[in-house]
Amino acid sequence: MITTAPEPIEAAPATPGGRVWRRFRANKIGMVAMAMVIVLAVVAITFFILDRLGIPFPMDPDATNLERKLLPPNAVNWLGTDNLGRDVLSRLLNGAYISLTVGFVAVFVSLFIGVVVGAVAGYIGKWVDNLIMRAVDALMCFPTFFLILTAVALLGPSIFNIIFVIGLVSWTGTARLVRAEFLTLRESSYVQAARALGQRGWKIIFRHILPNAAAPILVTAVLGVPEAILAEAGLSFLGFGVQPPQATWGNIIADGKTYILDAWWLILFPGLAILLAALSFYLTGDALRQAVETRSERQ
Amino acid sequence: MTAFIIRRLLVSVVLLFFISVISFFIITLTPGSPYPWGELNPKVSEEVKRVFREKFHLDRPLHEQYAFIMRDLFTGDLRSIKDERPVLQKIGERLPATLVLNLGALALSLSFGLLLGIYGAKHAGRPPDVITSIIAFIFIALPGFWVSYLVAIALVDWAAVPILGTHTIGVAFTDGAQVFLDRWWHVMMPASILAIGGIAVQSRFVRASMIETLREDYIRTARAKGLDENAVFYRHALRNSIRPLITGIGMLLPALISGAVIIENIFAYPGMGRLGYEAVLERDYPTLVALNFVTAALVLLGNLVADLLYAVVDPRVRLE
Amino acid sequence: MPRVRTLIVGIPLLLTAVTAVSLWSVARMSSDKKNEMYIGSIGEPTTLNPLQAADSAAASVTGVIFNGLLKYNADLVIEGDLASGWSLRQRSTFFFASPEEAVQAAANMESQLVDRAALHLQKYTVDGDRLVLELGMPGVSDSQKLAAMFGVAPRAAKTIGITAPKPLGDALKDFAAQNPAAQIVRVWFNGNLGELVFLGDAAIVRAALEKFLSERTGQEGLVLEDIVAPPFLAEPEVIFTLREGVRWQDGAPFTSRDVKFTYNALMDDRVASPRKSDYELVLSLDAPDERTVRVVYRRPFSPALESWMMSVLPAHLLEDVAPDQWPLTFNRAPVGTGPFKFAEWKTNQFVRVVRNDDYFRGRPHLDGIVFRVLPDPLTLRLAFETRQIDFWGVDPWAVGSFRKDDRFTLFSAPSNSYNYIGWNLRKPMFQDLRVREALAHAVNVDQMIRYVLYGYGEQSTGIFTPEMWFFNPKVKPFINDPEKARALLAEAGWKPGADGILEKDGQRFAFTLITNNGNAIRSDIATLVQADLKAVGIEVTVEMYEWAVFIKNFVNKGEFDAVVLGWALGQGYDQFQIWHSSQTGPDQLNMVGYKSAEADRLLQQIREEFDRDTIIKLCGELQQLIYDDQPYLFLFVPQGTSVMWKDAFRVRRPGPDGTWIDEPVKMTKAGWSAYLEWFYRPEYAAQLEN
Repeated sequence: MITTAPEPIEAAPATPGGRVWRRFRANKIGMVAMAMVIVLAVVAITFFILDRLGIPFPMDPDATNLERKLLPPNAVNWLGTDNLGRDVLSRLLNGAYISLTVGFVAVFVSLFIGVVVGAVAGYIGKWVDNLIMRAVDALMCFPTFFLILTAVALLGPSIFNIIFVIGLVSWTGTARLVRAEFLTLRESSYVQAARALGQRGWKIIFRHILPNAAAPILVTAVLGVPEAILAEAGLSFLGFGVQPPQATWGNIIADGKTYILDAWWLILFPGLAILLAALSFYLTGDALRQAVETRSERQ
Repeated sequence: MTAFIIRRLLVSVVLLFFISVISFFIITLTPGSPYPWGELNPKVSEEVKRVFREKFHLDRPLHEQYAFIMRDLFTGDLRSIKDERPVLQKIGERLPATLVLNLGALALSLSFGLLLGIYGAKHAGRPPDVITSIIAFIFIALPGFWVSYLVAIALVDWAAVPILGTHTIGVAFTDGAQVFLDRWWHVMMPASILAIGGIAVQSRFVRASMIETLREDYIRTARAKGLDENAVFYRHALRNSIRPLITGIGMLLPALISGAVIIENIFAYPGMGRLGYEAVLERDYPTLVALNFVTAALVLLGNLVADLLYAVVDPRVRLE
Repeated sequence: MPRVRTLIVGIPLLLTAVTAVSLWSVARMSSDKKNEMYIGSIGEPTTLNPLQAADSAAASVTGVIFNGLLKYNADLVIEGDLASGWSLRQRSTFFFASPEEAVQAAANMESQLVDRAALHLQKYTVDGDRLVLELGMPGVSDSQKLAAMFGVAPRAAKTIGITAPKPLGDALKDFAAQNPAAQIVRVWFNGNLGELVFLGDAAIVRAALEKFLSERTGQEGLVLEDIVAPPFLAEPEVIFTLREGVRWQDGAPFTSRDVKFTYNALMDDRVASPRKSDYELVLSLDAPDERTVRVVYRRPFSPALESWMMSVLPAHLLEDVAPDQWPLTFNRAPVGTGPFKFAEWKTNQFVRVVRNDDYFRGRPHLDGIVFRVLPDPLTLRLAFETRQIDFWGVDPWAVGSFRKDDRFTLFSAPSNSYNYIGWNLRKPMFQDLRVREALAHAVNVDQMIRYVLYGYGEQSTGIFTPEMWFFNPKVKPFINDPEKARALLAEAGWKPGADGILEKDGQRFAFTLITNNGNAIRSDIATLVQADLKAVGIEVTVEMYEWAVFIKNFVNKGEFDAVVLGWALGQGYDQFQIWHSSQTGPDQLNMVGYKSAEADRLLQQIREEFDRDTIIKLCGELQQLIYDDQPYLFLFVPQGTSVMWKDAFRVRRPGPDGTWIDEPVKMTKAGWSAYLEWFYRPEYAAQLEN
């Protein structure tokens, strides 16, 4: 946690969100990381749009050019070419949106499932809670890789299926967290007051509990994105991710590992991209967690 | 306490049964089927295929196949489809190497994680902490397969150092110390790469735990009493923040036998990871069921141990 | 507390220190090589039993532990291994309506015979209503020519093959006894397989047999098929004379009993040998004495000779052990007669063999061989570059850099494999020959070879590869000509549509090309083909699947448009299972559904032909025929290159007249490892006994 010089005195923001934001803003590293995340998102969206419009930039990522294969970084191909002469930089940029989309949407899926399951378990409690938690335990017994492989083999290796599958195997952490939050918050004074006033369950959940639980959930979400990105990269690396010729960071490395001793650029740059993206999300998430925790600790 | 343990064991057995059934169905319903004769071998006749399918009950209804596999698993005669050797024997061959590797990785994760975490907590908020934090996050964000390749190339190509397998082959050793050091080196290399993520995670964990503990009232009291900072730090704060670490050990049980496929492949290390991965690709159902069963049993056992340790370590917790 | 603090800092420091010391120790370990050879492979042997193993890693190991009756020498000529010699014969039996006719036929033949030797006729006898010819060469054509001289037409013998759901036991003998009208002349069975040769009416006999067997063995899974066979009994015989003084590696003597045992094991369903089909045509195998083995076949089958290169198993170690125990015992610790004997197998790491001092050809020079398992291609290469293994199969893109470096010796030869695109001939869009020819013209194979194989390969001209002795060099490959492709497509009715993609009768020319993932060459091929075909207006979607799914769900079911695949062939010319029209069912190898009566005829004839020149002629015709028909787009034959550190080994082998030939390791027709048992390390030259 970085504390800089004492902040200039200003009126305290009215909302909890505002307070969190102000603390977050003070964290220099977190700000830089978030800037990186924003840049990545912009890049991904831009190249997604360009791809859909059919505008290749800087070059067509799928254009094979056998005369120029396995070239090291040069004036034309800034990051070199792969074994079919395709420009690595273009493929890297084109693949960005896959990696990030998978990251975001998979987290969204796992968040959705995790919040629902955790909320039900935490709010209702007793035997429902017990049953759900045992089921979660059971799920954790399955080797994740194998589940993913099976699902991908059954459903086919499309982006959608991979997102779905990654989301499906990673919701348990969120569920546990949400359940814990719910268990605590359920006993808190304002929830009891709301109940006394006759408010119905769903209203209590949405109006009172969820907003308070929102912060840790958000942190989990942000920290879950890089895991999903790494999972997608690993899957593509093993050949079970998105299929060629569509580029993803993972499968550029997978295609390139055959030539690793002769063409290091095929491994280095996508790996750095993955590292950078994951790192940005982790640092952002950590800064966010600090900003959030400070608030809850003061409660 | 005993009632709790017994109840949990019973629940675990039931759970284990359900898990084995579900995982069996997932495994067998995956498209593709076992074919142990290599690529489209023209010489394999229909007869041989038929005998093969009969031997492994592959044409029976699924519930019958499940019963056969479970029976063989418990009588110890479950054979792998790939080479017809008993699966438990195949697992047993690879278990020691895997244990050694994972223990090495664990030792590295815990010891370095603890060191870095405490260092970070001690200098919380100041540049040394910031730097170690960023380093930790970089470690977590590193894709494992990427690092393995780079390290392998660096060590072998540039430094010409042998790293493959569990020991160097083809060299006459001069004494016992050399043998030991050779084996140590061959384990430590893949263990280090495996531990990279672990070190980072543990260090973050310890650091957070320490920082939180340091805010507690009794620490302030100890400081107010004039205790030396080191004593405060190491004797009081550390002891209390280690608790979550200890309870976390139970959860590490399944991690001890899990395998890291890519690293085992690259370092040609004979571990469980490759066994499982190859079994998946070859649809070696008996091996997969056995592996899954053993893993699930260990996870449930680990959960139980973790809960018990938690109760032991923190007197405030009551087991239901 | 200082103590706690010391621990916290000390333990990581200690771990680091020991690791640093171990690095130092490992780095300065002596690099003096033992007198051993180190071979690395990506796969691990599944078993070391040569009858049951189907992978190449196992083949490398069993190749030095076991011997067969025959082997290929360095010039790819068959020579005796455990057999010191062999002779071929055949007995052809013709059936006549009466003994008088038989006598008549013999007399007619005698009178017309000019040159017995040319037709290999050694003698003939009349036995009742049969005329039995004894020939010095197996085959069908000699007997047919002699039959043309009979003047009297012999009765036609028909053959039915039986696959039963249960072992047949005496069922067929009983059927023969109960159905004299069927006039069954030969009964054969082995386990579930059986065969009847008879003179009676085909339809009647078949119906009676089906009814009989349905009751005896059950109807479910009972298959009767009419076998294409000559209308007379043609029974080739091979007589092997076994070498004297050969011992198993445990000291026991090698005798004909071992060969008989090996044959029985091959046919035993409990052993489940993937090679069984090579021996299914054996009528009987017996061992008249310890040094002789006599094998009689039910029909001429020329690939049979090659099948006796199969390793022989020790009867004395296995005959009393149930096959389901073999994986636990013998298969993990095999005993053979070869130059090296099994020493140790550390699962997932290596298999080690040591020298067999009593090897019958002489004492090998190396102390042993270690076969290392290195599953990652990168580490395999790194292991070679750091001299932890002595050989490496070079990837095409790296060949250039190794060639330039004279620390290495390279061994290059066209491989016995080819890559192709298989068109599913059941789909209407591929049924027009002009379309297939157009596709062959549209794809630029030269470019593929240049860029995917880096020039190390040549265009394939069909089902055989250039190194095979029966290869037809006269077949001309298709030339890349997109204009011609478009013209042919137009001729076949395909016109460009609005989006540039060809159309015919409202259907677009679009299909899915599938292959397995994880194979860089196949995925490159798919990408290039996609681009080439787009240029002539054909839309190709590429999909890649995991191998197990690919084979089971698409290839085996025949449910695909087009596949990218390859065949790795041995030295044999029998491709019946790949091209015969009877092999197009699910799970069979004629997955594209190719049916050609002419090809069927040639395939059958080749199997029955033993004369080398005739085989070359027939194979040449078959190759041209199938190439013209283009059931595949035959792509290329890759060149295989292996590399060895030049100073690693030399060869010292026995030459003629008991001298020794000392030479560097050279490439031969059979590869660089033809003399593997005679390799030695130059630094141990002083230890050589001779």
